[in-house]
Amino acid sequence: MGHVDRARDFVANTERTTWHDEVLWFVRAKRDAAADTLPEWEALRDEAAGIKRDVLGRLPELWRRFEQEATAAGATVHWARDAAEHNRIVHELLRTHDVKRVVKSKSMLTEECGLNPHLEAQGIEVVDTDLGERIVQLREEAPSHIIMPAIHLKRGEIGDLFHQEMGTPAGLDDPDELTAVARRDLRARFLAAEAGITGVNFAVAETGSFVVVTNEGNADLGTALPRLHIACVGLEKIVPTANDLAPFLRLLARSATGQPISTYTSHFRAPRADDGNGGPPPELHVVIVDNGRSRLLAEPAFREALACIRCGACLNTCPVYRRSGGHSYGSTVPGPIGSVLAPSQDPARHAELPHACSLCGSCSDVCPVRVPLHHQLLTWRSHLAESGHHPRRRRLAFRIAARVLSNAGLYDRATRAGRWIARRLPSRWLDRLGGPWTRSRALPSIPAESFHQALAAREEERP
Amino acid sequence: MSAREKTGRKVDGDDARSEILARLEAAAPEPGEPFQRVPAPAMPDDPTSLLGARLGQNGGVLVTNASATDWPTHLDLPASPAAFAHVHCQAGTALPEHGVASRGVGLEAKAVHDLSPLDLCVLEAEFSVVENGASWHVPASALERGAALLAEHLVILTRRSRLVATLHQAYPRMTLGHTGFGWFLSGPSKTADIEQALVLGAHGPRTMHLVLLDD
Repeated sequence: MGHVDRARDFVANTERTTWHDEVLWFVRAKRDAAADTLPEWEALRDEAAGIKRDVLGRLPELWRRFEQEATAAGATVHWARDAAEHNRIVHELLRTHDVKRVVKSKSMLTEECGLNPHLEAQGIEVVDTDLGERIVQLREEAPSHIIMPAIHLKRGEIGDLFHQEMGTPAGLDDPDELTAVARRDLRARFLAAEAGITGVNFAVAETGSFVVVTNEGNADLGTALPRLHIACVGLEKIVPTANDLAPFLRLLARSATGQPISTYTSHFRAPRADDGNGGPPPELHVVIVDNGRSRLLAEPAFREALACIRCGACLNTCPVYRRSGGHSYGSTVPGPIGSVLAPSQDPARHAELPHACSLCGSCSDVCPVRVPLHHQLLTWRSHLAESGHHPRRRRLAFRIAARVLSNAGLYDRATRAGRWIARRLPSRWLDRLGGPWTRSRALPSIPAESFHQALAAREEERP
Repeated sequence: MSAREKTGRKVDGDDARSEILARLEAAAPEPGEPFQRVPAPAMPDDPTSLLGARLGQNGGVLVTNASATDWPTHLDLPASPAAFAHVHCQAGTALPEHGVASRGVGLEAKAVHDLSPLDLCVLEAEFSVVENGASWHVPASALERGAALLAEHLVILTRRSRLVATLHQAYPRMTLGHTGFGWFLSGPSKTADIEQALVLGAHGPRTMHLVLLDD
């Protein structure tokens, strides 16, 4: 099933699609307003892109330094080649600490690795604590946006969910009241948790620190209370020095939501201080994960996607994402950046994603680290075609097109015949030939003469 | 160590480490082009009004007309601080004559978990950032870190002499390489995960005041 099929249910609800489109465009407009407050905005993007390009050439050195510094500060560093190894390491840590209840803050990496189902299968309760993530977790869905996980839902649906799951009155759909109920429920879970799992926004080689940003403070509560903190970080998330954090943190929240900064920007380096209440000393574990990142690094055409800081700006601006919703992508990360990353993980499964794109280039225009997203999407199309990942019908169509378009005489005869047939067919037959393109739009009427004939006629009429 | 022990998990871990580092060495691109660093922007002409505007965007409130001896009377809280049963004050921030002093769980908590009913937490920033309303704070203890999150209301004291223009000036002022944990706090805990409607008090403080004091 491709993007077009997965989007069918979402686009069938015009009211929802329109709301989704408008609310994300509003977030994009807030990003523009925030960017406009900084005269140095474009220079910041250059600096951030420059740092990331430099980092991609120095990853072994930077991660060795990070490991050395973090270890010296009392953290334990683990390395995972793939998702399975990551999940095994995290589970082993929880098992040896006899942990049954875990609170987790938002981490696209643990989504990518399928950590929750893995731990749940071992009898460990995992509670996602970001409100949007909690909502989709209770609905047994994936996040539909990397920073607004429940943006595909309306308040009534969330009210119904809370009515079922948390006993709120039927019909209650006020965001303030629903959030207050979730706060009470989650506060108890924070207090009961024996371990906190977080993602990482930035790791700093020079200091062995890492930074986690949230607006809700859920990563902070999830690590301030339990004695065990496990942070999972993708190989691309490192910067050389603490001073390098400045351009990225200036860009990140402004690009994401138009905020000047996230509410909590927390810098972790050592296990949390002991509160002196007895019990084992607090521990901090960092799991460094490859899971395909080194493979992407080896691809000159796509490696710059590793610069992504997961702000979501390319999703908010994308006309396809805004109108089709995050679930239509069928990948952990949706939107333009997801369509670049996913085919590298599994080309057969995600071969259609680079086509869920009009090549308008808006994603590349807003990307804070200047990932050339629409160029990469175009490149993916040819890579996937060459490696045989296009459906047979499209391969045949392109082979025919190549023959016809490279031979003027053949082209003329083919289009003449095509027009003759097309003008005699009922339009609903024609629309079928367009496949997904004409599923919800009609083809224009077919002219009687070709462009060349029309032009020649005009030339003759000229005085 | 016996050969058998050597086949334990630690050795697997080393395998993963060396394999990942080898993959990265093999895949590493040529060094990137030199790039320009953005010069640190100057302090704006009117830092106070910009700080207030940015903090306001984050849902926080800037208090500018208070003094070191009367700031609790300038807070916009649902009750006077003296009415709160549970208060945690960072060392040096208490004003007992205005009812601001550690008490209740803020005084008696033995573990972070005991702090959950906390009404008010008062902290002092090392410095604050004008461009975004963020204040840099290094908690003195696990309890203080928890108090800042579990309190219903958060107050951060800062000083005019400790304002920096942007994050570019902020990072060189820290000693991150010696800090086990430190954070920028820039407003109340907030969410917009239900239909993008802004709600203050997602998990932590529902209000946040930044009190700007003269030196």
